Amino acid sequence: MSYVYTVARLRGMENHILDTAFFARLMDSSGIDDALKALGETSYSQWISGNENFDKAIDSEMLATCKELESFVPDKELIDIFRIPYDFHNVKVLLKGLFKVRGGEAEGRRYDLLSRLGTIDTEELKTAIETEEYGFLPYGLTDLIPQCWQLWDSSKNPQAVELLIDHAMFRAMLNVAEGLKMPAVIHWVKSRIDAENLRSAVRLARIKYDSAKALPFFHEGGTIRPDDMARLLNEPQETWSRLLSHTDIGAVLGALQDSGDIKASLSDVSKSLDDYLIRVLENAKYSMDAPENVLLYLLTKEAETRNMRVALVCISGGLDREFGRRLLSNGR
Amino acid sequence: MEHLGLSLALFGAALAAALAGIGSAIGIGVAGGAAAGVMTEDPNKFGSCLILQALPGTQGIYGLLIAFFVLNKLGLLGGAGAVALTWNQGLQILASCLPIAVVGWYSAIWQGKTSAASIQMIGKKPEAMGKAIILPAMVETYAVLALLTSILMLMGVQVG
Repeated sequence: MSYVYTVARLRGMENHILDTAFFARLMDSSGIDDALKALGETSYSQWISGNENFDKAIDSEMLATCKELESFVPDKELIDIFRIPYDFHNVKVLLKGLFKVRGGEAEGRRYDLLSRLGTIDTEELKTAIETEEYGFLPYGLTDLIPQCWQLWDSSKNPQAVELLIDHAMFRAMLNVAEGLKMPAVIHWVKSRIDAENLRSAVRLARIKYDSAKALPFFHEGGTIRPDDMARLLNEPQETWSRLLSHTDIGAVLGALQDSGDIKASLSDVSKSLDDYLIRVLENAKYSMDAPENVLLYLLTKEAETRNMRVALVCISGGLDREFGRRLLSNGR
Repeated sequence: MEHLGLSLALFGAALAAALAGIGSAIGIGVAGGAAAGVMTEDPNKFGSCLILQALPGTQGIYGLLIAFFVLNKLGLLGGAGAVALTWNQGLQILASCLPIAVVGWYSAIWQGKTSAASIQMIGKKPEAMGKAIILPAMVETYAVLALLTSILMLMGVQVG
């Protein structure tokens, strides 16, 4: 299937992605009214009617982008790979809510945390999980949700359930990518697993977690084996970039180390890893028909929405602007 | 066997027109896909896109030109009747048609891909139109060289 039309259309759409200069101006806004005025000329203006519920407006923008892409991208699975994490996020939200309800917390359900960006309609997912009719659910959820219940009943450990769901999410993403038979997309999913594993390793190192018990925190399917990631915890963090220098992701740690920021905050590490996941696909920019351009566009758009969320929360909450600027991802 | 020379020469003319034409059709199709994508987002780019889309069409014209040249040489145009050709002369005409047939076919496809990339470039940077035309025009060089080779070879073939 030819992607010439798709990539050309994405090139046109890229012109509307808000760039770093726009966010710099937005962060200089005197207040939320000023910021909303600046947003008036962007595609976000159709979703933001007042200064209430920015999250919903930002999700609407991202959802509209996904729907537009679905109308002309030959392989819908490319968009599904991007949306699957939102499905699994919704499963986590619904299950955690039910765990609380069964534990006696009548108001445990948090439907407000559900994301509309998943491939499964939130209402259908809600009904399926609450009525325990998982038969129609995709991505192995039919088997996963009963396993989550079993694990919860035996351990009452929400973190263990969350890890089980995350393992299944990455497995589902890899299955969809392998079904597409697009090497660059498969490589990106593997890189995403590596990034998530590295994020977990940094978190565990901060709390000095015992490496012998760390293996369940790492996901299978990446380019670096889970036990190699777990072994990192035995080494000083300063040496990680050298130990991972043979991998693509080692460069992220190298860059943090070069900037003297190896002990950077988790949000800085997360930001570097998010930027890395965009960089993995950047060669596609030079191809006129590479399918991974679809994924690259979605990630760039997601980075834009993330920046928008940071900026609006920062401005409306009167938070430190310098801190907000630091959190902004490198945009277009 | 008496018409073998004529048949070979006509086969050469057919190859020149057909292969170069097929290449152009593919090239224009690829560039057209890119043009449609860019124009969906910005219909004002129609003029620029059209120029870039038309570039891979020249190989088809070169192939047709060589086909006319051959038909004229054979006396098939104007109703004067076909000249008598030996199989050796027919083979020489067929060989003369091959440069534009083969190079026209391939270069049109690759020029179409370069045009598509250039169309994507102006989709993002409309001010780069000048550079965008030059890139696919470079591919054209080799189609022109093949056309010249075919013409010179045909001129060297003695018939009648």
